[in-house]
Amino acid sequence: MMLDGAIQLTAALMALAFVQQSLEHLRPAVRRSERLLFAPRLVLSLLLLAVSLGARLPGLDPGVLTLALVVNHLFILPFFNGPYNGGADRMSLLVLLCLTAAYNLPEPAWRELAFAYLGLQLLLSYFMAGWVKVVNRDWRSGRALRDVFLFSAYPAGENLRRWAERPRVLFVMGWAVIGFELAFPLTFLSQATLLAGLVIAALFHGANACLFGLNRFFWIWICAYPSILWLQERVL
Amino acid sequence: MFPFTGLRLLLPAIVPSWRFFDAVTASPRLDYALLSAPEAPAEPWREFRPRPAVLRPDTMLRRLLWNPQWNESLFLVSLAERLMSATSAETAAHSQRELLLRVARDLDRHAVCNPEDYLQIRLRLVSRTGPGDAIGEAVVYQSGPCAIAGLLTP
Repeated sequence: MMLDGAIQLTAALMALAFVQQSLEHLRPAVRRSERLLFAPRLVLSLLLLAVSLGARLPGLDPGVLTLALVVNHLFILPFFNGPYNGGADRMSLLVLLCLTAAYNLPEPAWRELAFAYLGLQLLLSYFMAGWVKVVNRDWRSGRALRDVFLFSAYPAGENLRRWAERPRVLFVMGWAVIGFELAFPLTFLSQATLLAGLVIAALFHGANACLFGLNRFFWIWICAYPSILWLQERVL
Repeated sequence: MFPFTGLRLLLPAIVPSWRFFDAVTASPRLDYALLSAPEAPAEPWREFRPRPAVLRPDTMLRRLLWNPQWNESLFLVSLAERLMSATSAETAAHSQRELLLRVARDLDRHAVCNPEDYLQIRLRLVSRTGPGDAIGEAVVYQSGPCAIAGLLTP
């Protein structure tokens, strides 16, 4: 995958994810002050999507549009006093900042570095999530995942709490998650293993979206996949 | 003040920690009570936006694309956690105000309250009480009564 193609694909995917997120903030149930922040985000994202797909819009290029989105977020972040949707927002901002740098930095090497940083952070996002679990006794024993289903705020339906009554299944599931997250850097060694790793990771995000309602994680993590696929080719 | 507050909040995104679910700790629940007068007793307490008893697979799939209410509920959990661990008066005030505004707006849109009512919210911390699966809870925060009319914004 060539750098420009990977950046374009990431921008198009991020724009789509931003459109989905923004629409959720534009329904009538939302306060007008919040809608006023997300209306420009929706327009900028649609324009970025069009430009990423090859549309020619006078005076608008991806560099300008990503910069405008960063400025838009300088208003959105204080409104929520931080991220609205935790890790999903952090990844959204990281993808946006890396793309903004990749589009606007003057030297090709700097542009590569900015995009490579996104790929590296994606790899770290899995490894670090596995590391903080494996050093925790409750995760190693399966207790933590039982607690997630038993009393945490995440299960999106009361019927899902019944999973807490299946400790052996959760023990295996917990170790499967820890093992996958810790082993993810090894998938970087070849394109085939990386592709397989990303498919498994997407299924993992899909399961989290279904069980815990974390739909924004699913879409925004996929947005960063082109960066690691490009980085793998570039480095190895 | 723009742009400094935004930049301060943006900076952690450059070097994220990625410590997802590193520990499963006590979990907040948001309750509300509607009062006819500010000095009336706050009863009964009702859980705000309880999760559905059964979440069907087709709903799960639909929520992949459209999940605004649940995402707002997750934001309410974040606000509750920020309020309980607030290191500044500004953070506590922002969290409390957002919680009240969002609960009041939702109750008003569902015609659960009257503009003349007063709203009170509280946070319950739910956690496991021992090595088994027994669950306990404790109220850790309770707001004062606020006039619904003052919380309804366009």
